Amino acid sequence: MLPLHGSSPKGKMHRHAYSNGGNAAYPSNGTFSIQPHKFQPRSQPASRRRRQLIQRILLVGSVFFTAVFFFYPDLRPNLGSGPLSFFTSGEDSQLETVRYYDLNNVQGTARGWEREERILLCAPLRDAAPHLDMFFAHLKNLTYPHNLIDLAFLVGDSKDNTISKLEEKLTDLQAAKDPKQQFGEISIMEKDFGQKVNQDVESRHGFAAQAGRRKSMAQARNWLLSAALRPTHSWVYWRDVDVETAPFTILEDLMRHNKDVIVPNVWRPLPDWLGGEQPYDLNSWQESDTALALADTLDEDAVIVEGYAEYATWRPHLAYLRDPYGDPDMEMEIDGVGGVSILAKAKVFRSGVHFPAFSFEKHAETEGFGKMAKRMKFSVVGLPHYTIWHLYEPSVDDIRHMEEMEKDRKSKEAEEQAKKDRVNKIKDQFDSKSSDWEKEKAAVQNLVQKEKNEHKEKEKEKDKVVEKVKEETKNEVEQAKKVAEQPKKEHRKADPDQVHEAKGEEEKEKSQPAQANNGK
Amino acid sequence: MPTPRSLRRQNPITLVLAGILCIGFFIFFFSGNDATPGAGTARATTAETASNVLSPPSLPFRKAKLNQPAAAPPVVHYYMNNLTTSRTPIENRETVLVLTPMARFYQEYWDNLLKVNYPHDLIALGYIIPKTKEGNLAYAALQVQVLKTQSGPKAKRFASVTILRQDTETPLQSQSEQERHKLENQKPRRSAMAKARNSLLFTTMGPTTSWVLWIDADVIEFPPTLIQDLALYDVPIIAPNCFQRFYNADTKANDIREYDFNNWIDSPTARDMAAKMAKDDILVEGYGEMPTYRSLMTKMYDPSADPGTKVKLDGVGGATLLVKAEVHRDGAMFPAFPFYHLIETEGFAKMASRLNWESYGLPNYLVFHYNE
Repeated sequence: MLPLHGSSPKGKMHRHAYSNGGNAAYPSNGTFSIQPHKFQPRSQPASRRRRQLIQRILLVGSVFFTAVFFFYPDLRPNLGSGPLSFFTSGEDSQLETVRYYDLNNVQGTARGWEREERILLCAPLRDAAPHLDMFFAHLKNLTYPHNLIDLAFLVGDSKDNTISKLEEKLTDLQAAKDPKQQFGEISIMEKDFGQKVNQDVESRHGFAAQAGRRKSMAQARNWLLSAALRPTHSWVYWRDVDVETAPFTILEDLMRHNKDVIVPNVWRPLPDWLGGEQPYDLNSWQESDTALALADTLDEDAVIVEGYAEYATWRPHLAYLRDPYGDPDMEMEIDGVGGVSILAKAKVFRSGVHFPAFSFEKHAETEGFGKMAKRMKFSVVGLPHYTIWHLYEPSVDDIRHMEEMEKDRKSKEAEEQAKKDRVNKIKDQFDSKSSDWEKEKAAVQNLVQKEKNEHKEKEKEKDKVVEKVKEETKNEVEQAKKVAEQPKKEHRKADPDQVHEAKGEEEKEKSQPAQANNGK
Repeated sequence: MPTPRSLRRQNPITLVLAGILCIGFFIFFFSGNDATPGAGTARATTAETASNVLSPPSLPFRKAKLNQPAAAPPVVHYYMNNLTTSRTPIENRETVLVLTPMARFYQEYWDNLLKVNYPHDLIALGYIIPKTKEGNLAYAALQVQVLKTQSGPKAKRFASVTILRQDTETPLQSQSEQERHKLENQKPRRSAMAKARNSLLFTTMGPTTSWVLWIDADVIEFPPTLIQDLALYDVPIIAPNCFQRFYNADTKANDIREYDFNNWIDSPTARDMAAKMAKDDILVEGYGEMPTYRSLMTKMYDPSADPGTKVKLDGVGGATLLVKAEVHRDGAMFPAFPFYHLIETEGFAKMASRLNWESYGLPNYLVFHYNE
């Protein structure tokens, strides 16, 4: 074959191939070409009519359905979610009414930020406008992913502008350009309970008001929680707005312990005259036998409140166990908890533990919460050496004391001033005297010097006695001249003295304590 | 190239048809898009619709558009002072949260629930289903019915439906009637039940909820006006009498018998028994081993008496129970631990009374329990 091919003329082959291809692509109207319409039978009029009928039915049908769906959007078929849903009725398909949750996924673990566990941050507020700036600064600084934190506030019986300020601050927060600064669900609940108790420090912490106050606080907390807890929450964090200093990592720090309920130690800074610092939250404690015995003697509705001499419970308090240099991870089992900063797993609240607004085992609110959590076998733990600082609000006594101290200080200052003036006056006189004395001393020294010189001269020039006599008289004349000049010099020195006095005034303010000591 | 044969040979009528279909799709497209941002619809829905997925489950929410970046969740203000629980709940547009802990799904339950003539857009449903084999079946069956209803006619759709899977273990694998009602099984069973009820309650109750209606999954018959009828009494907690229909072999006729013994008025005997009990023991009703001599509401049923009679109760059952939301908000929950030697719904009535909320029962107003 190959030699045959090789011998065949090239041109012929090409032509052959071309003509073949040409024939295949463009069949000529030769005898062998087949034109289907010529040889196939035409469609029967019956089937053509049927086709036309079908087409008309489809046309009418589509027009009809379009019209129906246009005027009655309810009847439009549900095409499910995804891109197809654009073709269904808009409003309805955009509305989601069914939600599924598995509570096994929201149990809360030690490393919640990695598992994207949501936290509900609850803050009950009342006349809290002055503290909001501080609170929001804390919020912004939290290191836990903000989009995983849902905020819930209950504002009740507020007489100041707490609500408007809160709303404004929250709107600002959510308008942040950085999406990492935006929080999750934010709810403000407004509910007045008609509390009779005043919120100022004195009436807040008075013993008589405690039981009633704690019960209404508990009520507010329960309203907040029951309205804000969602099936998506793994943790619930209760935080008072008047916390002044707390670590930015507080959520992670508390979460790492993986306890059902956990609280840090709460102290507050104090002015120096009160000792510099003080335990603040005395509601975190371990139960004692004395307290249990005391509880048995009390009436069903009585509430034991901690930190008052009326109930001596001898309980070990978390607050008093603080060691500033202790291990911040150290844990302590407690029975009552304080409400300043509580991190709890959401399952604790889901199982029904709440802040009793009645006397539960002789306790109410957060202490009752701790008791109830314990009753349901949840772990309740405090961190004695991990401290956050509550704002120091001076009590009425403190304010009075501070006013007295201020008065004392002022009168002491006035006294000091008077003393100082007197001292200065004396000093001035003393100074002029001493300068006099100095001059006299100088004069005397001069004299002595001259005398020495004279003595030398005497020794040298014993023979020049006459001259010596003359010199002596000269010296006497000079001395007389000097004595005459003395008042003149004093007069000239008056200016430097004034300068000295001005300087003394400056010094007086600086060195007041030393002088005061001297005065004593 | 010559024009494709199909176009050349097309009957003009098909072209017209295609054109109309095209226009039809465009109309769908634009009407679908226009309806959502419309001012009129927004006004109508702000009260009962959340704009973000992060919202109370008792409200429906509008889904985020797929092609838009997610906006920051809004700051939502709830005026809980304006929340009412009145005699005329429909007129005041008060929302009702219907809660059902479900271990088994009964079709009769769902059919009966659909018959409720309280406006469905004011009703939110909440379910909690245990993670057991039986629970999975119930979950699947419920899901089918829910989807059917929620994509059905608008008037029948509920405002929202929340379905939870339970995280707490169920102490009893069998939900059979004998097993459930054994005396020694009562404490663990009812404790788990209480936890399930609390989980359901505290996660689904939103800031707009006015009433909470507890219906057991095996309550299959009650009047469609149940909510209005119970709300009319304007009391914090109210329970109708729960009976059961059965075929009475003695009289050879359909008959009814008492079922829920947890609605009762306390007796001195029961108080004495409680006083002598250890701290963690519980008193339960309806067992011969433990005669408490409490007055049971089931015994008070009298078909000839005034159907509106109301009695004050000390313990309530959970079969059907209408509770004002503020009772739960104040903290009245279902104790999963012995609370004054009572547990679950009976403990709930006790806790509510400690919070100064009273419980009432309607001895002559019947609801019916499923008969196994």
